[in-house]
Amino acid sequence: MSTSTATASASIADPPRPGRLRRFSQLRAYTQNLSHSSPSQRARPSLSSRVPWLSTPSGAESPSTQVESSTPLCPEGDQPPEFLYRILAINSPNEPSQTTHVMARLRSASAVQGRPPRNLARTATPEAPTSLPEPTTATNDTLELTGTISAEIQSPSKLPQKATIRFFPYQDSYQSSRPSLPFIPISRTLPSESCVIRVGRYSERDGIPNPNPSEPSDSPVGFKSKVVSRKHCEFMYVNGQWHIKDVGSSSGTFLNHMRLSQPNMVSRLYSIKDGDIVQLGIDFRGGEEMIFRCVRIRIECNRAWQQQPNEFNKNTESLIKNLGKGETADYSGCRECSICLGSVLRPYQCLFMAACAHVWHYKCISRLLHSPDYPMFQCPNCRAFTDLSAEVDDSNDQEGEKSQESVGAEEGNQAALRSEAQSPANAPPESEGHETSNQLEAHPEEPDLATDVENLHLQDEQAREADTESSDSAALNGSNDDLARSATVNLPGWQPTEPLNVPTRHAQLRADTPGSDENPLTPRNDSGPLAFDGRAGMP
Amino acid sequence: MGSQKRIAKELAELVESPPAGISVELVDESNLYEWKVHMEGPEGSPYQGGDFILKLSLPTEYPFKPPTVSFATKIYHPNVTNDEKGSMCLGMLRADEWKPSSKINAVLQFARQLLAEPMPDDAIEGRIAEQYRNDRVRYDEVAREWTRKHAIPK
Repeated sequence: MSTSTATASASIADPPRPGRLRRFSQLRAYTQNLSHSSPSQRARPSLSSRVPWLSTPSGAESPSTQVESSTPLCPEGDQPPEFLYRILAINSPNEPSQTTHVMARLRSASAVQGRPPRNLARTATPEAPTSLPEPTTATNDTLELTGTISAEIQSPSKLPQKATIRFFPYQDSYQSSRPSLPFIPISRTLPSESCVIRVGRYSERDGIPNPNPSEPSDSPVGFKSKVVSRKHCEFMYVNGQWHIKDVGSSSGTFLNHMRLSQPNMVSRLYSIKDGDIVQLGIDFRGGEEMIFRCVRIRIECNRAWQQQPNEFNKNTESLIKNLGKGETADYSGCRECSICLGSVLRPYQCLFMAACAHVWHYKCISRLLHSPDYPMFQCPNCRAFTDLSAEVDDSNDQEGEKSQESVGAEEGNQAALRSEAQSPANAPPESEGHETSNQLEAHPEEPDLATDVENLHLQDEQAREADTESSDSAALNGSNDDLARSATVNLPGWQPTEPLNVPTRHAQLRADTPGSDENPLTPRNDSGPLAFDGRAGMP
Repeated sequence: MGSQKRIAKELAELVESPPAGISVELVDESNLYEWKVHMEGPEGSPYQGGDFILKLSLPTEYPFKPPTVSFATKIYHPNVTNDEKGSMCLGMLRADEWKPSSKINAVLQFARQLLAEPMPDDAIEGRIAEQYRNDRVRYDEVAREWTRKHAIPK
């Protein structure tokens, strides 16, 4: 779900033209894009107004999660652990049956609609391919239909909030200790509350695990380290709260540096919260070799509200839509860049937006983007973690386009472009239809907008001249493919501080992932004399 | 330097509308990174009436690295070292707690809040913390005396 939009772009694609003329053409492109996106977004009836459960979760959920975290539901110390087992036992007879029933219904619903049930697939699964064919939602009628169907099906079940947890690698850089085992972020959404996520040493017998399954899954999580026991610890969701339990590991499970149990002893349940650090095992032989390194995990849970439409990111969306609308635009709600304290979300600035909808100037945030932790980015405002190298999640864009709740207008536009470019089978007629109709709608407006923006630009120019750091040639270029490119690829103009370190680290991360192709521990028989693909004996 | 712009902005804000009991100025007009802060002892605390001078220094990497705050005026407080440095331990200023979105304004208000309510659990001066917990009357007395001796201008 990392819909990070790097609005920073460089004018690579532009042929060099004399200054003002070039700018004007850029402006044209810019205004065109904007006027493309906005009517298309506005023309769509907002699903959220009709389907109550779509809009409610953000508001309804956040207080409840707060309550949960403030009142520990887990008996901490005073009460014996049996208490929790009793809870589990009480819950399990009715819960699973109910939820599986709901699940079955949901699945049948998704079969009817031919798309994945969105609230179940909310697991922040950037690499989840949308396996099911997308229906062409070219007309509003079909859209309305799917909307009502899903509403009818889900409303009686009161929309069970699936428990989602994500594991990120954590490097304890402040205590300058050795690096821990790298792994790519893992996410799990429990199919039902009684499920348990088992964590242990990676084993071939478990098959190749999918770190980010699109469907709810409680498949075990494996780490390729000898210091992780085969059965090491378990994560479970009890009474709206995530818990961890050591299941008799030999080298220990540590929650925020505290060991949970003696070697080979089962611990009681400990409640965990967002941002906690869990360490599995201790470095063996100095951790020189990768397979002797301990695993440090940063837990992310109870952040689902942030990944859904909420007041904040909808507000950001509307601000982004206003960009470049000339002097009539309303910047009253404009936020400040928390790094330089200047205002962001004004035209002619390179911006970066994280998945949590916090926005900074690209120049200000770049230091945190290209850090030694590179693929991982932590929002300096809310501390939410994002994997910047994650695949772009298309399924989310579809949802955003439909319900008008995507993070930004550019996003929506990008989605159209991306779906055209990446998956030609993925409803091309729809996006094309919109493209043309938008153009038709956009043209009458265009001259006004262009002049508006031109005026604005003239005023801005004086201010900008004082600003030595401004990169005004790049700022204007809001064209969509540039955006898409810069969101995924290294940004042009970025001076790598550690030119060698970052890419190799990244490659390493990928290589050590369970399930990745170049797996150091499971050599593939494709280079020896017995390889059958014709590469035998090739250097 | 990108940081200078931000620091100048924060300074201007703090000079224009200073938070209660706090005023800031630069030690040297040409150096944005060293600040001198006057802090009034909060009412109801043994530091009341005192004018404490704090030194706030900003790293060149600010706001990515936290500022450091120290008391130039001697103060009897569990969270301030009892030596010439007068270093102060603020949770939000620890490297792993610091967020670039925190502002100096918040740091200073937090520091002043610490004068009103010391945090003996997070103390640097264990002896003072113990006294604060167990013998509040004596602690108040000493703190008031130190305030009179060091912080009240004659």
